[in-house]
Amino acid sequence: MEAPYDDRVLHQRVVGGDESALGEIYDRLSSLIFGLSLRVTRDRVIAEDITQEVFLVFWERPLAYDPERGSLRAWLATIAHRRAVDHVRAEERRRVSALGPRLFEREPARPEDTVLAADEAERVRQAVTSLPGSLREALELAYFGGRTYRQVGEELGMPEGTAKSRIRLALRRLADALAEEEV
Amino acid sequence: MDPVERLYLDALMADPAVPAHSLRPQLLAGARARRRPAAPTAAWAEPYAGRVAAMDALLAEAADDDWSRVIVEGWTLQELVAHLAAKDGLLAASVGAPVLGPPIDTTDSLARTRDLQAYERSRSPEQTRRDWRAQADALCRHLADLDPATAATLDGLETGLGDHVLGRSLETWIHTADAARTARVRLPDPIAEHIHPTADLCARLLPWTMLFSGMDGGAGHTLHLTLTGDGGGEWRIPLGAEETTPGTPDVSITADVVAFCFLLGGRGDPAAFPAELGGDLALARDVLTAAPALSGP
Repeated sequence: MEAPYDDRVLHQRVVGGDESALGEIYDRLSSLIFGLSLRVTRDRVIAEDITQEVFLVFWERPLAYDPERGSLRAWLATIAHRRAVDHVRAEERRRVSALGPRLFEREPARPEDTVLAADEAERVRQAVTSLPGSLREALELAYFGGRTYRQVGEELGMPEGTAKSRIRLALRRLADALAEEEV
Repeated sequence: MDPVERLYLDALMADPAVPAHSLRPQLLAGARARRRPAAPTAAWAEPYAGRVAAMDALLAEAADDDWSRVIVEGWTLQELVAHLAAKDGLLAASVGAPVLGPPIDTTDSLARTRDLQAYERSRSPEQTRRDWRAQADALCRHLADLDPATAATLDGLETGLGDHVLGRSLETWIHTADAARTARVRLPDPIAEHIHPTADLCARLLPWTMLFSGMDGGAGHTLHLTLTGDGGGEWRIPLGAEETTPGTPDVSITADVVAFCFLLGGRGDPAAFPAELGGDLALARDVLTAAPALSGP
């Protein structure tokens, strides 16, 4: 999936050494990257470090990103996820070695280039099913059914604007559901 | 992207988490330390500063054996960077900006290229890269106070400084694309604001490429050139090198703006160039055939 036009221009600017473009990308995506890092690490200081590092790495090596292969958001989220998972694994190893040697060391899973590990993706799907029916329906049509806002509206018999705000509400509820589960 | 991942990211964005304090100032300071931004310069020289930064970003990706790989003209990546530094250095010398490397004793860019390549071969690729970038950035800073209309000479060609700098921008862009192709890295185009003045230079060069190719059919004719894509536009170009005001167009060419800049830069076969031609077709084909005439190595 190709990146949106805005992503391409921001990428062009960063490749051309325009630091104000980095600032704009930070303003747009830092809360997402921080939120994602926080969910995985559950440590605000570590999440801040990871957030900082994700944007620095993008600035330092902008050609590692290819807009033909996906959005900037997905690219940065993937880097953040990988780093956050690496951090959690390193912490676990430290705890394990503090407890002494074990006979059977679990084979560490290979960090994949994804935003969500399989069990996390399952949690998101579970959280969707916990939403009230009308919200869940709109969300499923839009994300799993590949419908546009207009099509979601048509299928649910409501104007496009109403469908859009219902999906937004559903996303906020989903975020709450995911957060509650973590507590 | 997987729909569940997209849903997850959209949910996170609907519920923003905010760090205790803004990391933005720290980020920008840290960024500057990790990779130098484009050098500050006059607005008309920014396309050049941007291409230098992009080339440097590509060089940052180069591993040890990439430096000895032949890119173009039989030159390795290190020799190619020395070539860019050679021509940048000649322009720097002509406007009184600092020149790095051995003292300049020629005005010929190929002779200077050979001197600098010989000098750089005894140094590490990182040293070559560092001096090329330092010299280019110093040139950008020097240009900040100059008028682009100032006459300057490069390779025996005297014209406005602004056009020489755009020429350096185009050459740096084209060689970055050469090196990116070898490295299998996808190089994004410059932003539209940087492409447009470069395309304008290429359009204005057409009467000269015709003249230089010995095609004298252009006199008295006016070309309507339409360049499509970001940074494109429309031009009316009198094809006789002596003419300054365009007449009524009697020949037209429509093409992609980036492909057109690259054609002028000697990349692409004029006979196979994808363009829509109109009016005097034989003349339009002559314009395209002559287009690469001023591109050197």
